[in-house]
Amino acid sequence: MSEIAIESTTAARVHPARRRRRGLSRETKLGWATVLGFVLLWKLVHTIGVFPPWAFPSPEQVVMAFVKTLRNGELLKNTWASVGRQLVGVALAALVGIPLGITLGSSRTARAALLPLCRLMYPIPGIAWIPLAILWFGIGFKSTVFVIFFSGIWPILFNTMTGVATLDGQYTDVARVYLAPRLFYVRRILIPGSLPYIITGIRLTYGVGWRVIVGAEMISSITGLGFMIDDARWQLRPDIMVAGMITIALIGWVMENWAFDWLERVTLERWGMKSAA
Amino acid sequence: MLEVRALSKRYAVDDGEIVALAEIDAAVAEGEFVCLLGPSGCGKSTLLKIVAGLIPASDGTIRIGGRDVTGPGPDRAVVFQDYALFPWMTVTDNVEFGLSARGVPPERRHPVSAELLRAVGLAEFAQKYPHHLSGGMKQRVSIARALAVDPVLLLMDEPFGALDAQTRFVMQRELLRVWRAYRKTVLFVTHSIEEALYLGDRVLVMTARPGRIKANIVVAHERPRDMASVELTRLRTRTLELLSDEIAKSMAQEEATAELTS
Repeated sequence: MSEIAIESTTAARVHPARRRRRGLSRETKLGWATVLGFVLLWKLVHTIGVFPPWAFPSPEQVVMAFVKTLRNGELLKNTWASVGRQLVGVALAALVGIPLGITLGSSRTARAALLPLCRLMYPIPGIAWIPLAILWFGIGFKSTVFVIFFSGIWPILFNTMTGVATLDGQYTDVARVYLAPRLFYVRRILIPGSLPYIITGIRLTYGVGWRVIVGAEMISSITGLGFMIDDARWQLRPDIMVAGMITIALIGWVMENWAFDWLERVTLERWGMKSAA
Repeated sequence: MLEVRALSKRYAVDDGEIVALAEIDAAVAEGEFVCLLGPSGCGKSTLLKIVAGLIPASDGTIRIGGRDVTGPGPDRAVVFQDYALFPWMTVTDNVEFGLSARGVPPERRHPVSAELLRAVGLAEFAQKYPHHLSGGMKQRVSIARALAVDPVLLLMDEPFGALDAQTRFVMQRELLRVWRAYRKTVLFVTHSIEEALYLGDRVLVMTARPGRIKANIVVAHERPRDMASVELTRLRTRTLELLSDEIAKSMAQEEATAELTS
């Protein structure tokens, strides 16, 4: 399944610990130079006038839009609304996905019973749940969380399942030799032993949720960054749209590079379970 | 203490079945150190796992202290070749694993793990994680984990097979020291003649598959043994003669399997 991608999500990034220890490396500088080049290109396209000015903001206009929406509290209010839904949605996906993944990973019967249904549900894009979600929960928090949950549960579910199913059989032998009770085994061996997969699953779940939330908020919400971007369309404010998009990018970047890397540092790296990064 | 009677193990394969162990009879007395020596693929590790209760026998019985073995039990502990330590637990937590699994509270576990870690010379590594330790140190932790549950029978599955020659020799001496201190009955699987003759009170030589007990060699020499002595050299030659036919057979079997699967 394409959601299982331990290597692809971790291998591409510069090792975070190394980056902090030695200051800015050549690679980091190069990366930021490209970002700067992109902004200059953006400015150039604006100056040439490929698109009419009311549809294509300049970088300065976007900075001004940032300042303005920060001052009037709109940006923070909408960011907070999105982040809140995102965290609740991801937490629910983990709360259901991890135990379900453990069950599927450790029981052939459970797999036979539940996998066909999971595989049928998995290709349904989160966005497709929105109309139903609105009928069930109305506009706002609940329907958005529902959509995040349903698009985000699959990566965490399938990764946990794979982690449990591929756990070193010798760990299980040790547990049996020392007569570990079932719950003790799950808590002390199955979960920590599958943690590389579980963390990757949460990472992917977080990414999927964050991508879906904007679409969900455009349709079924009157707050949030997605709403802010969509609402700017009616005011012909492309600068606010882009400011919202950049906010989404920044929050995603911070979570990816700081929160999840931190989680890996205090667990997998400490235990020597992370393959050479 | 340990009695194995008419034990067989058969595996079903696509076109019939493989007999891994055939009609094994063996006994180990209390406090005895017995080595199971055989060519690779002879089923010696399978026999150990059956005694551990990890896999069922097809036929025959195993009795420990007069009681039938039907699964793992508190009277046995296993030391695995690949250490099988949990990387997410500290050395202390690994040693205490069997005790925590049995619900022994921390204040009663800690003295046990502290004493055992002193005994295997790892007291100062108590709070480290296994990936900080060398192979030899990991295996000491694994031995301490096994001793922590105070088993009657210690089962060791090629525990030093992954170690380099020098570490291996040090570990063999260490094991004898610990064995004398804790007075356990040991069943020790190895494919090394040297190791078997250096460690065991007796050496059970196994045949190639289907595994049977081919010979029972009593090694009565005082420990520590001088492997270069005349008697032990003679014993080694005799054991090698016993084993070389079996090694040849085992290799032929492996080649046949390789041809079938290639």
